[in-house]
Amino acid sequence: MNNLKYYVLSALFITVGVFAQQDKEKQEPVQGHTNNNKFKQLYEEFSSPNMYRAASGAPGSAYYQQQADYKMDLELDDVNARLSGFETITYTNNSPDVLNYLWVQLDQNMRARDSKTPLIQGSGIAPAQQASSFADAYMTEGFDGGFKIEEVKDTNGNALPHMINRTMMRVEMPKPLASGDKFSFSIKWWYNINDHVNGRGRSGYEYFKEDDNRNYVIAQFYPRMAVYNDVEGWQNSQFWGRDEFALPFGDFDVNITVPADHILDGTGVLTNRKEVYSKEMMKRFEKAKKSFDEPVVIVTQAEAEAAEKTKSTKKKTWKLSAKNVRDFGFATSRRYILDMMAVDINGSTKMAVSMYPKEGNPLWEQWSTKAVASTLKSYSRMTFDYPYHKAISVHAKQQGMEYPMICWNYGRPDKDGNYSDRTKFGMMSVIIHEVGHNFFPMIVNSDERQWTWMDEGLNTFVQYVAEQDFGKWYPDALSEGQTAYPSRRGPAKNITRYMGGDQNFIAPIMTKGLNTYQFGNNAYGKPGTALNILRETVMGPELFDYAFREYSQRWMFKHPTPEDFFRTMEDASAFDLDWFWRGWFYTTDFVDIGVKDVKKFYVSKEPTQQVKDMAKSRGMKLSDLPPLVFMVEEGSEDYKAEMKTGKLLDNAPSLKEYVMDNFTAAERAKMKEPKFFYNVTFEKPGGLVMPIIVEYTYSDGTSKTETYPAQIWRLNDKEATKAIASDKEIVKITVDPNLETADVDTSNNSWPREVKEGEFDKFKNKTKN
Amino acid sequence: MKFLKIILAVALISSLAFTAVHKYYVSITKIEYVKEKKSVQIITRIFIDDFERLLRERYDDTIILASNQDETQIDRYIEKYVLSRFKISINGKLVSVQFIGKEYDEDVVQCYLEVENIEAIKSFEIENKILFDVFSDQKNIVRTHINGKHKSFILIPEKHKGMLNF
Repeated sequence: MNNLKYYVLSALFITVGVFAQQDKEKQEPVQGHTNNNKFKQLYEEFSSPNMYRAASGAPGSAYYQQQADYKMDLELDDVNARLSGFETITYTNNSPDVLNYLWVQLDQNMRARDSKTPLIQGSGIAPAQQASSFADAYMTEGFDGGFKIEEVKDTNGNALPHMINRTMMRVEMPKPLASGDKFSFSIKWWYNINDHVNGRGRSGYEYFKEDDNRNYVIAQFYPRMAVYNDVEGWQNSQFWGRDEFALPFGDFDVNITVPADHILDGTGVLTNRKEVYSKEMMKRFEKAKKSFDEPVVIVTQAEAEAAEKTKSTKKKTWKLSAKNVRDFGFATSRRYILDMMAVDINGSTKMAVSMYPKEGNPLWEQWSTKAVASTLKSYSRMTFDYPYHKAISVHAKQQGMEYPMICWNYGRPDKDGNYSDRTKFGMMSVIIHEVGHNFFPMIVNSDERQWTWMDEGLNTFVQYVAEQDFGKWYPDALSEGQTAYPSRRGPAKNITRYMGGDQNFIAPIMTKGLNTYQFGNNAYGKPGTALNILRETVMGPELFDYAFREYSQRWMFKHPTPEDFFRTMEDASAFDLDWFWRGWFYTTDFVDIGVKDVKKFYVSKEPTQQVKDMAKSRGMKLSDLPPLVFMVEEGSEDYKAEMKTGKLLDNAPSLKEYVMDNFTAAERAKMKEPKFFYNVTFEKPGGLVMPIIVEYTYSDGTSKTETYPAQIWRLNDKEATKAIASDKEIVKITVDPNLETADVDTSNNSWPREVKEGEFDKFKNKTKN
Repeated sequence: MKFLKIILAVALISSLAFTAVHKYYVSITKIEYVKEKKSVQIITRIFIDDFERLLRERYDDTIILASNQDETQIDRYIEKYVLSRFKISINGKLVSVQFIGKEYDEDVVQCYLEVENIEAIKSFEIENKILFDVFSDQKNIVRTHINGKHKSFILIPEKHKGMLNF
């Protein structure tokens, strides 16, 4: 009987809060709603798993991908800055489908006179313009870019019907291509190479007036097969200039004829090195293959400077052969300095290579090749062993662009060789970033046209890890007073300004690259930071790294989609992440978690007025009450100062009796005796759910950090309350003490509330002092 | 409709940008009226590379920003430039803007400006032509928080003034 009363009463106390709240609400009918819980499963957003893509996030049992092999003969006309080529594409249809036509990408047409790219740019009359851009815009026909397609033929020399829709060309075959069949055809083309410095572009030339020479960085230079797969069919979404590429894997044999005094390198193995290198260069190259600590210079600055003074009328053909690459790029100039260093990747020797004009020095000779080597090591640890034999970093003004085994990077000291930290770290970071792109998307071959973040975001995340490694491995690269590499993207606090910014100019990460606002933050900064937070704060490096490696290895040399990534990360870690993907990738919500209220409680011998009232209202006498421990809020009517000083058991006779009855003296000696009780209410003005990381600081100066998993928000998205028992008085409570969750407003992060100066007043006061 | 056009324009500014160098040509200015202090507090954020190019073209082509050198002279140039391109009228009258200083925040130069002794704001007009002289596609976003109301607008060379009435 007594027991029953006890339960009834306990139940009463537990539910009293809920009833009290409901009483206050007006009794108006509340409409129903669909599931808008932040933890709702992602079934509606995700495509259904199938034979091609498994529910685990791995390639499915019927996964297939197409193959495109290329044989190309190219010739550079240095006088007219023109590139011409004859290519033979062999396309293998590994899909189960019959293909009636093939789609070929003509990226250069983005620069054609009839290109629609300028038409989608907003423009207006500027009050002042440079004469050259004024003339280009209003007085001339402008640069004559774009592919000049001379012929499209089958292997018997018969012309193939083809139709060009801007940057896409449809080629019709004599008969439909059956599943498992191959089709070979050739294209003869040429185009005028653009000035990538003045015209802006991912490839082209930089012209040097002093010596009338050009440095060429050449890419998207040949008609390239589009991807056909199980998710897009043909990925023939037009190239507008910003959103990058989707390309199938294949083997390339490319012969490139350039002036005989040029130094060239590109995607693939240089198969005729002895024909194109001098004896001295060969000797230095052999030495470089054994030099694992310092780069060996193969073409010196003095040699490059001598070469730029004359122009050879002879030609040389460089032969490159690449297996299983998705693209091909090369760089060539008589002005290039060349150095190389060997890198050991788990027992396999790779070459780190740099090509740069004298304008890159002294920075480039010092750091480029080392940054390449360091990147290959870091990324290999985070993903898989770098499978290609080399990685090249080419210096190109204002560029940062990636291709298999080769990339172009900025970072140029001024004419006297001086440079700021910005230039130095900008150069190192862009090299690490672009070399890192070998892994994403060159090998883990996602569709960049569709999802920019899948390569840029993942790559920005690993770039952060690699930058931190680089700072550790090459402390000399840091500047005075620095203890770690100053990464721009990765740390949570660096993304708060963007995420807390004007919602009119923010798009979810899951948005097509072309259509995003603040492209850099959207596709690079936020996903990179999200993954860093997921690794360091949500999952922990051990769980995260295993799953991230699993994703990388599952999709190495394949075409993953966003779901394949999301699913694999869960599949390999048993970490439920639907809420994380939903919040960070599918919405523009931000993190803002704070401490709303803290109430202190003490244990009391006497029932509080509230308990008395409740007993009375239920028709019970106080003597009917079972042994209860009464809690009194500091400052309330029932509160007495001695409650704060007395011992727990002395203040709660019923508890003391219970303890004496149920525990031995030895057990009692080991029991905790908390004296301070807190009712801590956390608030979440931000839309994103995140774990609550809380630091409790005690009166003796010690502190303890507690993490409440994100699921604490599953039933109440606005508030969460925790009862804290402590034997020491808590003097301070801080949410996210190390700024690791990207909380956009930290003014509510501490109790007692710290009044923080606004940014403006802080600066103003600083300048006054 | 006009607003839609502006949004589209902003979305496409960087459509020709490179994969790692992000040229937005956008500055962001936050303006807050703190009535208790009778102060209009202004923070303008401008990309450091853009600003460096401007200062080089305009004043001295050896300028390097954030190079740990003494920047007294650079600050003078910045003050002169910013005040000449940034005008505020309150209640119909042009007011005097003070340049408090600047600091660096990653790849951004953050300038602090203030208008003092403002008892009340009934109308507020801002003209922000920063960087329009070097980048024809520059956009200056201005966000105001005045009399409890938030408002943002985008200033472009053809429309370099914004007006608010309370």
